[in-house]
Amino acid sequence: MSLKVEGVVSGYTREVPILKGVDLIARDGLVTVIIGPNGAGKSTLLRTIYGYLHPSRGDVFHDGKSIKGLAPEHMLGEGIAYLLQGHSVFPRMSVEENLELGGWIFKRDRARLRRAFDEVYARFPRLKEHRRLNAGALSGGEQRMLEIARLTMTGPKTLLLDEPSVGLMPKLVDFVYEEIAKLKQDEFTIVVVDQNVKKSIEIADYVYVLNLGENSHHGPQHEFALRLEDIIREWL
Amino acid sequence: MDLSLLADPAILSELVFQGLVRGAMYALMGIGLSLIFGILGVVNFAHGEFFMLGTYAMYFVSALLGLPFLAGVAAAAIGLFVVGVVVERALIEPLRQRAGRDWLLDSFVLTIGLMVILQNLALLGFGSRRRGITTMVEGSVVFGNVTITYERLAILALAVIIVGLLAAYIKFTDTGKAIRATAQDPEAAQTLGIDIKRIYTVAFGIGAALAGAAGALLISIFPAFPTVGYQPVLKSFAVVILGGLGNIPGAIAGGFLLGIVEAYAIFFMSAGWQSVITPLIIILVLVFRPQGLFTAQGERP
Repeated sequence: MSLKVEGVVSGYTREVPILKGVDLIARDGLVTVIIGPNGAGKSTLLRTIYGYLHPSRGDVFHDGKSIKGLAPEHMLGEGIAYLLQGHSVFPRMSVEENLELGGWIFKRDRARLRRAFDEVYARFPRLKEHRRLNAGALSGGEQRMLEIARLTMTGPKTLLLDEPSVGLMPKLVDFVYEEIAKLKQDEFTIVVVDQNVKKSIEIADYVYVLNLGENSHHGPQHEFALRLEDIIREWL
Repeated sequence: MDLSLLADPAILSELVFQGLVRGAMYALMGIGLSLIFGILGVVNFAHGEFFMLGTYAMYFVSALLGLPFLAGVAAAAIGLFVVGVVVERALIEPLRQRAGRDWLLDSFVLTIGLMVILQNLALLGFGSRRRGITTMVEGSVVFGNVTITYERLAILALAVIIVGLLAAYIKFTDTGKAIRATAQDPEAAQTLGIDIKRIYTVAFGIGAALAGAAGALLISIFPAFPTVGYQPVLKSFAVVILGGLGNIPGAIAGGFLLGIVEAYAIFFMSAGWQSVITPLIIILVLVFRPQGLFTAQGERP
């Protein structure tokens, strides 16, 4: 298994834990979707995995190695990439500079960086076309494209996607989910947190439901496709 | 005010040149202040004291050790870079860890405290005597009927070179790109593996080095004494407000603009007005264009 979370207790202050002992396993090459009502701790879980928050109890493993306590800037080196909620391109830097920063941890390995650029440009010809433009001048869809492309520059193993479709218009939501499906074909291990339960379940292999900072249900996608309405009714 | 002088091209060009020299200092100070604010979110009230330390570095290296002018500028820049790095790591970093949302107020208190401490340390260490260097570069050149000293030319040229080197550094080097990325979105920079704490430290060091270099360059106008930083820091705040907080090209333009406006104000207005003109401009900008003259409406610099 690629990513394993064991009994994690975590929050923004020690006195008020948001996660009260959460377990999660994300298997290699599969899409694991985490759903739950507002305040369930979904994004907190991703932020804890990525080292923005340090668990007061429990542990986090990636590829069998504990990554608990590592700072966020070391996670990409461990093979985990993180798509932040909302806009995260550097708006006043060119598309090319944005991608170059995506390869920051390999900045001394020019050959590897060159290959990563070739792959990304082959996959997203639009980005190559606009490579000299400032990222802030791209359309909303192109900015998301750039964020996803930047995420894959170093060839990480695991992708954490935090609300990838939040605030997007419906056409772009479809585009984002198509891109996530393509990333799955490329055998990335993917963990998605999204408000869009219907869309995210469609691409899921395995689903976790969190509620009030605790595990509530989990299981393979086909079990959830049928029980979805019951689960959502429980939240209301 | 004698308006007939406005028609005299020699006086006008002389004033433009004086304004550029002043402006070069304001730009160097303003860029540092703006860089520190843009990256760390710290309003550095101790910026004038970094200028002051730069004047002392220049005095010791150039007047006491007898080394050339350039060595003094380099010593001030390098010395203040080190001071900046130490201040950031020892004082600002621990405070950021704890402060959270009260960060701005904490940073005010911290840098004002630092200002007072550095002034008093300078007073204890060096005394209150003014230590100046009257001329660092001899001679002058005549363009038409305007006389320009080589010293003023050297100040302007060095300031322009320093600004140019900094711009190239920020534009082209890896660390420069990481600095820009961190200014625009620190969290995204961090997810890409950029050690933003290091970027904070480097940015603070560069800002302090620029203030130190400005102090060294201007020692013939501002001799070294413990509170010499008062005027320059006020002016650099003005520059940053003109240019837009955190906007570095804006700080450069704002610096030269303020320098030229002041040169004219000093020449054409009575003494009482001179010290009013800069605050007046700041208030007008804050009321009518709070984002700065060189930042588009609604855009974060």
